Amino acid sequence: MGQTDEVRTQRDDIPIRDEDVERTFKYEVAHQVGGEGLLRCLKCGACSGGCPVGAVTDYRPRKVLGNVLLGLKDLVLSSDDIWMCAACFTCEERCVQEVNFTDIVTILRNMAVKQGHAARGYLEMARTVVAYGRVVPKTFAVDKMRANLELPPLQDPAMEELTKIIQASGFDKILALYKGGDKTQ
Amino acid sequence: MKMAIAWGCLVPSRRSLLGYEAATRKVLQHLGVNVIDVPNETCCAPFWMQSLDQTTSLALASRNLAKAEEMGLDMLTPCSGCFHSYKRVNHTIEKYPGVHERINSILRPAGLRYNGTVQAFHLVDFLYNQIGLDVIKSKMVKDFEGLEIGLRYGCHMLKPHEILNIEYSERPTFADEILEGLGLTSKQYTGRHRCCGGLLRGTNDDLADEVLKNRLEDAKEADLDALVTVCSLCHIQHDMGQRIIKNKYGIDDLNIPVLHYPQLLALAFGFSPKEIGLQQHTASTASFVSKLKEGATAQGGGK
Repeated sequence: MGQTDEVRTQRDDIPIRDEDVERTFKYEVAHQVGGEGLLRCLKCGACSGGCPVGAVTDYRPRKVLGNVLLGLKDLVLSSDDIWMCAACFTCEERCVQEVNFTDIVTILRNMAVKQGHAARGYLEMARTVVAYGRVVPKTFAVDKMRANLELPPLQDPAMEELTKIIQASGFDKILALYKGGDKTQ
Repeated sequence: MKMAIAWGCLVPSRRSLLGYEAATRKVLQHLGVNVIDVPNETCCAPFWMQSLDQTTSLALASRNLAKAEEMGLDMLTPCSGCFHSYKRVNHTIEKYPGVHERINSILRPAGLRYNGTVQAFHLVDFLYNQIGLDVIKSKMVKDFEGLEIGLRYGCHMLKPHEILNIEYSERPTFADEILEGLGLTSKQYTGRHRCCGGLLRGTNDDLADEVLKNRLEDAKEADLDALVTVCSLCHIQHDMGQRIIKNKYGIDDLNIPVLHYPQLLALAFGFSPKEIGLQQHTASTASFVSKLKEGATAQGGGK
């Protein structure tokens, strides 16, 4: 994951050669739920202009979109960039072409996860939810703090339902990709 | 009025967020809203889970909605992340019937089904649109004349407005109107509508710090009596994160109280700072509480 004080040059990415380009990549993205807007992108840069992460790093949503439209599949899916979006939805709100960049980044992340590039922090949260039903497990300390504020005891999460949902959606298989040696960045 | 309520993961279990739940419960009860907790609530699987697998995320969020649907109630939540997840489910299944079928096929082994009939409300929107400022003002026993706060709408209560359908996010006013109705001055300041970086916490901490540092500097510059948040992540960032930013960047004089939105209503209704957990915040709220005592004027004889 890129450190914020690192200057990342673009020289590694150019020139773009035919062998790096997968021409159908943009259609692969556009045909998924929420990806329809991709092909409408004018690359105007309104997304980059409002980006709070772009304000402190050289991350640019427009560059991600440009690379997807060019067909640089391997570069996009293995890059840190797609994991830098903070999901504030400002780009989505401001885009005149209704490209819905945040949805597109979700599609790209989902594809990257299947290739072994999931962000470690999100994986850890997912493992916690799969094991305990919540991002913050219910503990004795939590119960005590709640009692002090006269709040009702926290109910146990419906683990049986949750486990069946995880199995039916195939998410257990996705997590299994990351068992043992961590493939993350 | 009766509503199902989903509290989320963070609100009912983090020390500094418990006051959000306490104040919400007290305010709603005081306003005559009967809330039933979603039975055995599980994680709503917000954006970070969507990032891993969108379908799983939608199915997990649908689980809690299905429970509200079984009870025949609409869903209320104080957490912007949960609100966003539930709104996204309803939006997605309406727009993509195939996804609706897929979600129900995932829910079936767990003995669940979601038909898409539950409306989701964010607490602050609910207070403004379903309760209304007049009713809220009629319950006030204190006002906050002279106090200046910075209200953060956060990202996930408003954006994208096509899905969340509350108010266009660039210049929202509804949540300010309630606070100004309580006598507070809600100050417009640079950065109040910008992202806090909360969703990067835990996965890219350096970046989360960098974004947060800008937000806290903005708030410090604005010279506020307190920040007010409506989102769990905004609160975690601005409240707990202050200590990190202080140490990491050597900013010594950073001590901004960060309150949860309904805590201000609870105070106006006459509840004590202690019963709504103000002592549990990481950044001390003492300076705000002391100004309250000096500045508050009892209009209805107190409680």
